[in-house]
Amino acid sequence: MGGPAWLTGLFAALMLTVAVYCAGRLVAARRWRRPTEMDTDGGHVLMGVAMAGMLVARLRIMPAAPWEAVFAVGAAWFGRQLFRSRRRVPASSWRCPHPAPHLVECTAMLYMFVLLPPSLARRGAAAGMAAMTASAPASRLSFLALLLAVFMFGYVVRVADRLTVRLPALAVRSAGQAPAGPPPGGSSSPGGRRAAGPANRYLAPRCAALCKIAMGITMGYMLILML
Amino acid sequence: MAQSLAVRGAGAQPGSRERPAALDSRRKLQLALAVIWLLDAMLQFQPAMFGQGFPQMLAGSAQGNPAAVARPITWSAAFIGHHVVVLNAIFAVVQLLLGLGLAFRPTVKPALAASVAWALGVWWLGEGLGGLLAGTASPFNGAPGAVALYALLAILLWPADRDPAAPFPAARAVGRRIARAAWLAVWLGLAILALQPASRAPQAISTAPGEPGWLARIDAGAASALARHGPLASVVLAVILIIVAVGLYLPVGAQRAAVVLAIAAAAVFWLAEGLGGILTGSGTDPNTGPLLALLALAFWPAAQPARSAVQPPAPPAQPAAQTTAPTAAQPATPPAATSPGAA
Repeated sequence: MGGPAWLTGLFAALMLTVAVYCAGRLVAARRWRRPTEMDTDGGHVLMGVAMAGMLVARLRIMPAAPWEAVFAVGAAWFGRQLFRSRRRVPASSWRCPHPAPHLVECTAMLYMFVLLPPSLARRGAAAGMAAMTASAPASRLSFLALLLAVFMFGYVVRVADRLTVRLPALAVRSAGQAPAGPPPGGSSSPGGRRAAGPANRYLAPRCAALCKIAMGITMGYMLILML
Repeated sequence: MAQSLAVRGAGAQPGSRERPAALDSRRKLQLALAVIWLLDAMLQFQPAMFGQGFPQMLAGSAQGNPAAVARPITWSAAFIGHHVVVLNAIFAVVQLLLGLGLAFRPTVKPALAASVAWALGVWWLGEGLGGLLAGTASPFNGAPGAVALYALLAILLWPADRDPAAPFPAARAVGRRIARAAWLAVWLGLAILALQPASRAPQAISTAPGEPGWLARIDAGAASALARHGPLASVVLAVILIIVAVGLYLPVGAQRAAVVLAIAAAAVFWLAEGLGGILTGSGTDPNTGPLLALLALAFWPAAQPARSAVQPPAPPAQPAAQTTAPTAAQPATPPAATSPGAA
């Protein structure tokens, strides 16, 4: 009853693309001094690699245990960020201001790695998730997988909804910082060219949103496979 | 994250915590519908759907239907059986695109229109018209067919304002009279079905193989109760559904009670349906429970007429380069978000 390998392969390729792109974002943001959410992009690099490995066995670079540790740390990080945001502690401009979805993402990764059958959790196992449903035992926690999947789809829908919302330029000023408007005559495209002068525009926000959409859909698919 | 994106488009800092414009209730319902379409798409991508079990399931919906209805179902199931991998992938992608199309504002109208056409096709060829003509339809087994409710919701949530002062979101596009008629038809129809023999039979609620234990226990208990008190249970259920149906014609307080009752009924139906079988690895959709709840929410009476409908239309968004950055004395106020494409 294994799912088609081409489908899991497609999702794995998508995840690797997201991982490579997010790694590129980290480099570009540092090189061009453009703000991006370092923790989100870093998390997506790790999740992309880990999910590709879960989907296609040949792409697995580590056994499950280290990944569990990685995502436990990630969950702790985003949990702390969430706690700080609830207490209205001023956030760094390089950190995610809305960490709740990423906390859930890390939790979902942990869930998947913990419940992954041992035969698939080892490095070098022959089959990826395409064969998982045949061997996975019916889990009492399957409803949790459904809840996580629905959350991910809700997140995808919310990100997609905001994708085309264009609001008037907001002068969001940090203390002692110049207005963050676009340069005179410059591109207003949020994913556009590098800002000239002091403008400190967020790095390619729509591309970042597309990564989140791809990540959410793929994670939702994997969670559905675990039902 | 999504919220932050909305205000960062033109150059805000990632660390900022501005609130985006609030969504109106109809847009929220559209997004909820999009979530269900995405869930459907991923359920369609399950491994079991790429096997012969899927066309066999489709063919099973022909049983008991008149020949004119059953023959196309049998033919399409056989056709799908010959090309199950390709066609199932196409079905899943279509549903994925419907979900994303609903979420992406510029494509809401095409997605809603396509979802109506898709849902009506699936209602016939995939669900056998919900068993309405076969005599097997029951609120406990997914009558009148989940996809019929997708189509109805798509129409009620269409982004138009025919009745700008509508007291609930479902009436904005089609007007109060038509929206209330739709509500009445759905819930009175369910009440009538609750009185049919199919709803009183002990096998009206059945457990599916592969269900989690807790769900199987709930369904087994309900089936046992139905076996002992079937006629009484069906009458009580019918009375409740009639109260829901007529509740919308009562004062606002009673309308709200009717909507809450409708949501409770939808939750009971969903449990009786075994959550649509989605925890068994072979469900293609969550069945009618969540859709009935969503439908009920679309009729939640607002305290006041929809604000976005009586306000003048928001000015079109201007390119960021042409806007003036607000000063500290004039904080940036995002425009009220309305349903995309609202006329």
